[in-house]
Amino acid sequence: MQRILKIARREYIETAKTKTFIIGLLMTPVIIGAIIFFSSRFSGSRAGPRPPIKVAVTDLSKKLTEDLETSFGNYNKNNNNRQIFLEHFEVQQDSNEIQAQGKDKLRNGEVDYYVVISENILQEPGKINIYTHKPKPTNVDASWTIENLFRKVVENRRYKIEQLDQELLAKLRNVPIERVEVGSTDDQEKVQTQTHEIVNMMVPFFFMYMIFMGMVGTGQQMLGSIIEEKGSRIIEVLLSAVSPFQLMAGKILGLAGIGLTVIALWFAAAYAAVRWQGLNVDVSIELLLYFVVYYILGFLFFSATLTGIGSVCNTIKETQSLMMPVMLIFIVPMIAWPMLIQNPNGTMARVFSFIPPVTPMVMILRLSAGADVWFVEIGASILLLVLAVWAVTWAAAKIFRTGILMYGKKPGLFEILRWLRQS
Amino acid sequence: MNPVLLDNVCKSFGRLHAVDNLSIQVSVGSVYGFLGPNGAGKTTSIRMIMNIIRPDSGRIEILGDGNIEQVKARIGYMPEERGLYRKMTARKVLAYFGAIKGVNDKELALRVPHWLQRVELADWADKKVEELSRGMHQKLQFAVTVINDPELVILDEPFSGLDPLNQDLIKNIILEMRNEGKTIIFSTHVMHEAEKLCDFILLINKGKLILDDTLDNVRSRQSAHTVSVELEGDTAFVENLPMVTAVKSEGNRLDVSLTDADTQQFLRALMQRARVRAFEVKVPSLHEIFVDLVGASDAEDS
Repeated sequence: MQRILKIARREYIETAKTKTFIIGLLMTPVIIGAIIFFSSRFSGSRAGPRPPIKVAVTDLSKKLTEDLETSFGNYNKNNNNRQIFLEHFEVQQDSNEIQAQGKDKLRNGEVDYYVVISENILQEPGKINIYTHKPKPTNVDASWTIENLFRKVVENRRYKIEQLDQELLAKLRNVPIERVEVGSTDDQEKVQTQTHEIVNMMVPFFFMYMIFMGMVGTGQQMLGSIIEEKGSRIIEVLLSAVSPFQLMAGKILGLAGIGLTVIALWFAAAYAAVRWQGLNVDVSIELLLYFVVYYILGFLFFSATLTGIGSVCNTIKETQSLMMPVMLIFIVPMIAWPMLIQNPNGTMARVFSFIPPVTPMVMILRLSAGADVWFVEIGASILLLVLAVWAVTWAAAKIFRTGILMYGKKPGLFEILRWLRQS
Repeated sequence: MNPVLLDNVCKSFGRLHAVDNLSIQVSVGSVYGFLGPNGAGKTTSIRMIMNIIRPDSGRIEILGDGNIEQVKARIGYMPEERGLYRKMTARKVLAYFGAIKGVNDKELALRVPHWLQRVELADWADKKVEELSRGMHQKLQFAVTVINDPELVILDEPFSGLDPLNQDLIKNIILEMRNEGKTIIFSTHVMHEAEKLCDFILLINKGKLILDDTLDNVRSRQSAHTVSVELEGDTAFVENLPMVTAVKSEGNRLDVSLTDADTQQFLRALMQRARVRAFEVKVPSLHEIFVDLVGASDAEDS
């Protein structure tokens, strides 16, 4: 046991010193934080001026010219970064001809939008046509703005005609709504903005992602470490001191430590962020305990698989083809999570909970989504996972024992099956 | 107790019999040269002794224990395929392997500097392994092998990659360890190294043991039959002496092969007929013995 700990300690220290670990695992929350911070600072007004939009308008009703001028004038005054130039394209004789000319302007690229206001716009069935030609995706927001400006102008004119008091209307329209989430005690009541709701939605995903990161992120380190020992011919020297099983156990233990360190740091970062933003995220101790249990079992399953894979390969490149199917399995819950979270006790969620490689991720997702998972189901999933871990470790130990001394050609499936049958 | 005991050990890889019914008994406090041509099964045998691969049949006991994992801390093994963590410093590598071989921290604090000194790497102690030259790497590897003060030392090709000075350094350490009562087994292709070091010779070919004896016995058994002489005058009579089986002449010198007869008797016979200028009983080198025995064993097989 002492040797296993010695091996684990070296594995931990040496891994913690690598660049992949420092940048890939520790720096990620910092980088994500920095991106969020800066993007919120520089978004909107600070993004710099954008090219102006040119709009030509043909007002067949001939009653809105002034209103439009004022409305667009006000908009341009308040939005220096995106000006919208309005060009009146008045009807002289034939309205059809003028419209055809307007569309030509669009096609030539002289204007970005061509708007036709119908003659009877101020009565009920009148409408506004907005024409575009090959619209640019960057102008999506401009389309909405233009639409709104025109609608407002027409609306206001209609109110005036009906002699409605606009201030009164505004007052009547205003119905304030405040969403409040009640915490576990009375003083924890917090007003929830939309961001708060999104944050709460993200909690289960965060938990699942942590399991994924802790398994897959550190799993890469496992492969690297085995390939290094194999490549630089250290294995046999190690085996002169310890048994293959001790070596494997030490490695898994050391990297489990790395995984827990990373997760602890991420949780700390997330907790700090939540406190800083004054959010109310309720995480029970029970959930954290389940998290640790599922994480450790999941990690053991994954890393045992990887020791098997790593031991039969000679280079990282060779491992990639074997890693593909393994990774695909783990990606499934990452893709399916929105569906799982909407119906955490549905058939899909239940079935996934009993597929050992993804059990930890799916169970943690369900538990943190607040699903009422029957205790027996939790127990059964843990039991199945333990059995799976045992089976995989047994197989991996056999493959590891023979595989780490094989250089050159990668063994085929049949050869590996033969190793499993050996005592 | 035999530090190493192999009893009818067999190992095949597919259709190749790498080790075929090998039985070896090694006694305490001696240096064993484990010799044989390439592919004879030396490394396979050593790996089985270290429980790195398992025999198909037969029994192996190391330091009186059938379970090698129990006694690994008392063995120093330098494999043929060897390497060290490239990113760690020489000192840390040595300390790490000491630790996993069960040496406690207090003891390590003494042994690590001692061995770095002993293999002349004290100035390189805090350099990373990847910065060391091949020879230094090899010496560090040797220090790693013996850091746990093992009773039994098994070295697979310990001299490869070392210059003559460093070969002497390692040789002296091996002899020192023998004098401390340790048992050393090493495999090599370099016959003159084996000649200077070994008490016993184990020669295997195609997985079979073809020689297991002390170096002295091996030599004397082979040596008595060839004599090199230089005579004055006519030498034609030599061929007709009763104890002579063959004569090869090289200028004045005659290489004479004898029957089992005593060399002194042959000398007397010569002195009666001519003046003897030079007389030398040829001691065959281990190299010649090797070529002889392996050749004979190959001939037997085919």
